[in-house]
Amino acid sequence: MNVSAVITGLGSVCAWGWGVEALWRGLETGETRIGEARRFNVEGQRTRVVAEVPKPPRAVVDAHSRHHREWCRLSRADRYGVAAAVEAWGDSPWGAGLGLPTAEEGPEIGVFFGGSTAGMAEAERFYARVTGRTAGPPKLNLLTSFQLNGPGDAVARRLGAMGPVETVSSACASGGLAIGAALEALRRGEVSVAVAGGADSLTRLTYSGFNALRAVDAAPCRPFRADREGLSLGEGAGVVVLETPEHARRRGARVLAAVVGTGASCDAHHMTAPHPEGLGAAAAIRRALADAGIAPTAVRFINAHGTGTPLNDASETAALVAVFGDRAGALPVTSTKGSVGHLLGSSGALEAVATVLCLHHGQVHATPGGGTVDPALPVAPVLGAALPLAASSDPGAARGSESGSEPGSETEWIALSTSFAFGGSNAAVVFRGPSHPAGER
Amino acid sequence: MSAGFASLEGVAITGLGVVTAAGCGRDTLAAALVAGVPLARPVDRSAGWHRPGGSHCAATVDPKSLQPWLSPMAARRMSPPSRFAVVALRRALEDAGLDAATLRAGQAARPTAVFAATACGPSSYTERILEQIQEEGPEAVSPSLFTESVANAPAAQIALACGALGPNVTITQREVGPLLALRRGALEIAEGRAEQVLVAVVEELTPMEHSVFDRFGCLADAPRPFDRHRRGYLAAEGAAVLLLEREDVARARGASIKAWVRAALAAFDPAASLSDYSRDPTPLAAALARGLERAGVEVATVDRIVSGASGMPTGDRLEGLVLRRVWGSATPSGTLPPILAPKGVVGEGGGGHLAAALLAAEGYPFGPTAGFATMDPELMITPHDGGSLPPARRLLVSALAVGGAAAWVVLEKGEG
Amino acid sequence: MNGEENTRLRLKRVIIDSLNLEGMEPEDIADDAPLFGDEGLGLDSVDALELMVALEKEYGVKIEGGEVDPEAFASVIAMAAFVDRLQAGGEAPA
Repeated sequence: MNVSAVITGLGSVCAWGWGVEALWRGLETGETRIGEARRFNVEGQRTRVVAEVPKPPRAVVDAHSRHHREWCRLSRADRYGVAAAVEAWGDSPWGAGLGLPTAEEGPEIGVFFGGSTAGMAEAERFYARVTGRTAGPPKLNLLTSFQLNGPGDAVARRLGAMGPVETVSSACASGGLAIGAALEALRRGEVSVAVAGGADSLTRLTYSGFNALRAVDAAPCRPFRADREGLSLGEGAGVVVLETPEHARRRGARVLAAVVGTGASCDAHHMTAPHPEGLGAAAAIRRALADAGIAPTAVRFINAHGTGTPLNDASETAALVAVFGDRAGALPVTSTKGSVGHLLGSSGALEAVATVLCLHHGQVHATPGGGTVDPALPVAPVLGAALPLAASSDPGAARGSESGSEPGSETEWIALSTSFAFGGSNAAVVFRGPSHPAGER
Repeated sequence: MSAGFASLEGVAITGLGVVTAAGCGRDTLAAALVAGVPLARPVDRSAGWHRPGGSHCAATVDPKSLQPWLSPMAARRMSPPSRFAVVALRRALEDAGLDAATLRAGQAARPTAVFAATACGPSSYTERILEQIQEEGPEAVSPSLFTESVANAPAAQIALACGALGPNVTITQREVGPLLALRRGALEIAEGRAEQVLVAVVEELTPMEHSVFDRFGCLADAPRPFDRHRRGYLAAEGAAVLLLEREDVARARGASIKAWVRAALAAFDPAASLSDYSRDPTPLAAALARGLERAGVEVATVDRIVSGASGMPTGDRLEGLVLRRVWGSATPSGTLPPILAPKGVVGEGGGGHLAAALLAAEGYPFGPTAGFATMDPELMITPHDGGSLPPARRLLVSALAVGGAAAWVVLEKGEG
Repeated sequence: MNGEENTRLRLKRVIIDSLNLEGMEPEDIADDAPLFGDEGLGLDSVDALELMVALEKEYGVKIEGGEVDPEAFASVIAMAAFVDRLQAGGEAPA
């Protein structure tokens, strides 16, 4: 297993709050933040629950509005993305004082983002005005940051990145695809630092749209359960800072984990329904494992796409059975979406953060909600309480030291995160962690 | 360590399909480029938020031009950009001498990747959903409108149309998206992850969007790239699909190689504003120079530039200054090679620029640069005047975006 | 034309309009022709959802649940019976 990308920073914004500490504390409780909408307008909708991001703490607002010349022009999704990126950047050489990289350093930094909504919430307000539904003149500034590259570009400008900057919008696979693009850029030597992430905010359009597809559960979603009825929408952002191991070593960076492989595929089956046997999903997972140079037996747990729709959970587990065989039934699986909802395009980015946190803390967070596991799904969701990684009831799980980690290092585990999209685009990312530079701590 | 470079070998472009305001297929675009006249058609100003005295025109696609290539039953649930994309795909495969059934049958052995670019995605469907939510309530939203309103719908339809099982990635990076998609596609082949890749650019322009761009002060019905008195760009829609193949795969099936992708660079200027182009060309000029050097492409060997200049005052300024800076540093005379500015004809959006770049690499003639009359003294650039030019061997294709992104691709003349 | 025929004609128009079946006329749809799957009109699951929304709008009724009972939408005749049940105010489990 060749490690070409280590993770040295994490940032997030979600229904649990602003910052990864809030996210982890929330995941540890095993409870859900999906609930009755307060800020988000659900008038006329078929369902009423969401996972909304709470107001930012004063400190966060002050930090950004004072330092960031364009903060007041950014969309809500942009701000989630920038806040998460700045948090993740905190451990970088430029993080502490938020100094900008020099003209020599800038080109070594790239930004790879993924999302579905960008400035859509603001555009909805513009639309209401321009059609006369709400009073007041239509304000063009509601559309300044409408386009999908908004959050990624805002992050690049804020951090001072001068290398490749690219935003992907392939529905729910976007975050996973963004991490894949970051990994490739690092491997080819194009950049030494790659900021990968995504940001989304709740919109009437996506909320109505998924309800029109009858894909939304009226109650908080319960992935893998027998009586699951659909997904729950969320919002927020997730950012991981990736570096080449050499760059991290040279500056004595604290390494949290590594991205060791990614894979992507397309179902080419149907515009909305996943392939019932999960063929495309299985292909993406296999490609990611092959890219990482590891066997399926080495995977310790999976952060699933796990939306809670009858179709997704069934086709996803079919894919897991195809890849992992008999072991699928004992392989721990969790869905972060049960806790913070489905962020759509940026879900893969937030779930990458959650996965790294699980590796770092040595436990797989539980998927919230009660109910029995669907007997038709041969998987082992982590329910009720978090599952410690060190104690394994899975006879097939290989310990990190057997997967080729360096002698003298701590036990490391392999985790897989999956993201599957409308239109059949699939992404899978393989993580290894926790890590410490050899000889440290 | 370098920034944004990729030096590529064996990446061939073997097919082009294109749908623009000029019509469907490479010949319609070629004719328009020779004519050198902006593809400006009247826009329905009653359907947007148009201002008096504002823009009346855009380079819009005539739906009839799609007709023999897409049946009504197939088109019924596709958004307009998906229709453009699938038609462009079919033309591209035809152009490459490859049929969809053969492509589909080979997926197990060689899954085809799709890299698409769009700025705004399926906008008419998005607007209709907003209208439904507002006028009839959220419960009246049409499910199939929603599924076809996402930015990746056209890329998904392309995959469905030919069974493409490889990665399916839609890049949304405004003016720079098309070259980034080409870059990703080329890297996928050069780095051994794919043998065949489809690169697509798709855009749809609605009257509402048109009126918004106009209100932002960006549009001109008669664009004048690089001209001293330029005032804006021509908004456009359409689709372009390119088939990329690894050289040995292309040769094995006797494909005609239209052009090679020799290098693909990407960079960003964080000093740019959220809503405009950078003022100082230094960082991007440095990125271009460094990228070409790392790719082993000597500036002096580039004998044609396909510029992304569109008539936008600040955008053309940045394009021009970056090119001046790079050529000024790299060559004794600082003389620029002939510069084509096809957006004067095809407008901004929908793949016309990328398709025109390929046609330039294939040696097609270009007419005079639309609207150009007076040189801008700050840029000292006189784009192509329509005279005959020797065939280009090595072309630099350039695109810069509002907000800071930049991309350049070096194409080399093929063999076809 | 009697009431039943009227109902079926109206349903066929709803099908054609809501599903964008361009160029198709009501006479092209037989009353008992299968609507879904390869043998019939070739409609699929998203068309079913689309029809649910269209029927709700056309007849002012609500269809509960996430999926449609395939029997209810099997043909125009079946749909007519389904709509009758809805309008009679009975439980209309989808």
